[in-house]
Amino acid sequence: MKKYLLFTAFFISTHAILAQNDSIRTVLKEIIVVADKKIDNSNGYKIQVLNDSIITKNTESFTSLLRFNSLIYLKEYGYGGTSTASFRGTSSSNTAVIWNGININSINNGQTGFNSLTVSLFDAIDVRSGGGSIEYGSGAVGGTIHLNDQLLYKSKKVIENQFVGSMGSFSTYNSLYKFKISTEKLALKLGISYNESENDYELLGTDFKNFNGAYSNFNMSVGLAYKFNPKSELKFYSTSYVSKRLLSGEIPNPTGANEKYKDFNNRNLLVYNYQNNQFNHELKLAFLTQEYQYFADKNAVAFNFGKSKRYLINYDVAYKISSINAKLTSYSEYESVFGKTDQIIEKNRRQFSQSFIYNQNILNTVFFDLKIRKDFNSDYSVPNSYSFGMKAKSFKNVSIRANASKNYRVPTYNDLYWPGQGNVNLIPETAVQGEFAVIYKKNKFSADLGVFYIAAKDKIVWTPNGDATRPGVWTPINLSNTVNKGVEFSVSYAKNYHNHFIDFTANYSYTEAKDKDTQKFLIFVPKHLFNGSLGYANKRLSFFYQQVFTGEIFTTESNSTDFMLPSFFVSNFGGDFRITKNIQKEITIGFKINNVFNKYYVTQPRRPMPNRNFNLNINYKF
Amino acid sequence: MRINKLLAVLLFGAIAFASCTSESPILPRGDYDGGILISGEGSGAGTGSVSFVSDDFETVENLIYKKVNSTELSTYLQSMAFDTDRAFIVVDNQNTITVVDRYSFVKEATITEELATPRFMTVADNKGYVTNWGTTDAFVAVYDLTSYEFIKKINIGFGPERIIESNGKLYVSHQGAYGSNNIISVIDIATDVVEEITVSDRPDEMFFNNNGQLVVLSEGAVQYDASWNVIGNTIGSISTINVSNNTIVSQLDFASGQHPSLMVLENNTIYYALSGKVYAIDIDATSLSTTEILTAEGYLYGMEVEGNSLFTLNASFTDLSTLNVFDITTKAKTQTKSVALGASKIYFN
Repeated sequence: MKKYLLFTAFFISTHAILAQNDSIRTVLKEIIVVADKKIDNSNGYKIQVLNDSIITKNTESFTSLLRFNSLIYLKEYGYGGTSTASFRGTSSSNTAVIWNGININSINNGQTGFNSLTVSLFDAIDVRSGGGSIEYGSGAVGGTIHLNDQLLYKSKKVIENQFVGSMGSFSTYNSLYKFKISTEKLALKLGISYNESENDYELLGTDFKNFNGAYSNFNMSVGLAYKFNPKSELKFYSTSYVSKRLLSGEIPNPTGANEKYKDFNNRNLLVYNYQNNQFNHELKLAFLTQEYQYFADKNAVAFNFGKSKRYLINYDVAYKISSINAKLTSYSEYESVFGKTDQIIEKNRRQFSQSFIYNQNILNTVFFDLKIRKDFNSDYSVPNSYSFGMKAKSFKNVSIRANASKNYRVPTYNDLYWPGQGNVNLIPETAVQGEFAVIYKKNKFSADLGVFYIAAKDKIVWTPNGDATRPGVWTPINLSNTVNKGVEFSVSYAKNYHNHFIDFTANYSYTEAKDKDTQKFLIFVPKHLFNGSLGYANKRLSFFYQQVFTGEIFTTESNSTDFMLPSFFVSNFGGDFRITKNIQKEITIGFKINNVFNKYYVTQPRRPMPNRNFNLNINYKF
Repeated sequence: MRINKLLAVLLFGAIAFASCTSESPILPRGDYDGGILISGEGSGAGTGSVSFVSDDFETVENLIYKKVNSTELSTYLQSMAFDTDRAFIVVDNQNTITVVDRYSFVKEATITEELATPRFMTVADNKGYVTNWGTTDAFVAVYDLTSYEFIKKINIGFGPERIIESNGKLYVSHQGAYGSNNIISVIDIATDVVEEITVSDRPDEMFFNNNGQLVVLSEGAVQYDASWNVIGNTIGSISTINVSNNTIVSQLDFASGQHPSLMVLENNTIYYALSGKVYAIDIDATSLSTTEILTAEGYLYGMEVEGNSLFTLNASFTDLSTLNVFDITTKAKTQTKSVALGASKIYFN
């Protein structure tokens, strides 16, 4: 609960807040169990929590969920296609996705495809801006996105079922089912989801439809927590994901597209925790596999693939120094990764990392963390990481937060070993960054205004003639140095007035990201990003409106105006009606109109995004 | 995987033959009559495109197809072919050939049927012959250039690249796509019978010399072991072929590890590039040159020679590229212009 209280300010939306006032839930005492406690050491960082009511409203894709709710820039190769995310003008390999505390970016390309996983089964997604290599390793430079399963212990046995189904334009069907049992000692969660779509939307401004864009995916997850006694607890998380996507074509000849992509992911995590008054021990074991298959011809049997297996063991021990309200934690981790592709024979990378984190609470007014991490890697030397974060209450409603850190991103398997092109002499990219913000909070109004600065060096760039001994060959080299500066502003407000509830959130960022040597703006970085939502609810009925504005971007190094992507402003509108609600069951039906003003927009050249489209959904809890 | 394809595609580009047939008309036939057309492959940073440079270098216009037709060509613009009035723009990832008026660049048609990674095209007797890597098997696709209808496919060996026509026969160089091949296919247009001539690895540019012999530049291949360590090289060559019996009459071999590219012919002189340097030899030369004419700037990705002027393209795939023109005699750089993104081919219009 502490986490929730701490970050209430950043709740992005509270459309379903009435549902959370559910009488049965307030009577019962409940304890939320999460796998990842490291995120609690985030004093001074901005964390946005996307709760399950927002997630179930955006089951269509992880990309849309983030685009409409966070200050992340998402680049999508047509709706449902390859999708990448970047924070604060950093590159997409500087965004780390964290599953229950484990960094799941691909070994092959160092990124996560934001249409290569579904998130509808997660209970909460945290969007944490700023560096996090200490906790989450490589790629946690611009920010991290945390996919969390939450398990609940309750003082009385409670069984909950939830079914969410929706159907929409372009033969789109989304469905999920969650089952939860909570007792005082045992918490179990099962979830399955299946989504499919023909995704053949009209390409605005052309006579074409989105050709070869169909997708389907299936996801299953299990979470289990068992408390042996007040001191010791065992948790287990497992998830499997299978997806098939066709990769759509672009203007002028979308019908030429013929590619197919398949993903298979499996992740397992076992956590044992033992605590007494002063010590908290935690042991984690994890096994993760990831595989993609790329079919240049969707009808052919031949494909290219990339595969990885990861074994991870982690031991944490925390020591509470009660006399001074402080805590010292040691994290030790050993990881062994096996990665291969159809063209790269299996390589094994091993890494041991050790970090120490010191938290201090001074008179409940100033909270700060000091962190340091050292890695030993079998392939290259990894720079040390440092971090400092603090939060302080100053006046009645005003507090400040600040953080500074040094983070890194290691070369990927592709960078190092790509046949005939890889460069084994690459060194990790590093970034030093800082952030300062002022927070104002009063009743249900909150605002957070911050500035950030990121200086990155040795950025890995693929370039022809990168290696003098291989003329004409594209190779990756540690080339560019960049400086990103910006301002971020978030505001939220909620008001309850005689059974009428309104809430409002808005996020805006201004980013100036430049190449240090050329002083030109970095490509694919919008200066302006804005999103906001407005919700209204009374007893049974609720409506919401969400919008996103993405500023224009340059796509060439010289910032040529001939090659720019225009800005866009897109809005969605939706509503819910609760048919029944009592202790046994609750049924809500809803609708959503995406791109309600039928705006033409692109996040990649020549790939128009969907026109206006409709969705009907039902949410049944019993 | 896109990056894989992109990089591979970008790796294997080189220069095409100029198709210079226009005489001086009395009235200009469009904004782009005369002058130089430069095609750029494009990349994730921007569309494939065509730039126009006037003969006097006073006018440079980029993205001329987009300006005239308000739409983009997409990636990767591999090559162009011409007939009297039309230009045929081959975009491989789009499986599209866009037909435009070669002087006004107004779009006339698109050909998409049966194309599968099209690379180069040639026109003979109002038919278009297009080399395709294919999804499984490579082929030459044949089109009627009045109706733009697909006529047939002629199956050939893998990795076809350039195609030229002479005396009722089509000559196709098989560079080998992502791998390496070592043949020239000779297709009899009347019968579709295909014969093969074996040359050195990775043949690319071809032309007929003034003696009616086919001259082929083979780049030679880099050999790797299972872990993709370089374990050796096959040699590159300039081979001269007697097409009456399809035999090699003479061959100039490069040293092992040298991988020449971008061969062009001008006034009985063969020009070629090696590691960013440009060399010239006589068509009857019995040995390769040991001294370069000059070193081109940056990433030498396209080359042409007209009279005493050497046109080189310093290609950028993240930005506009640079056209540098040199005086071959004095070796002085006479012009520098910003041209198409990923610029790879030069055509005299």
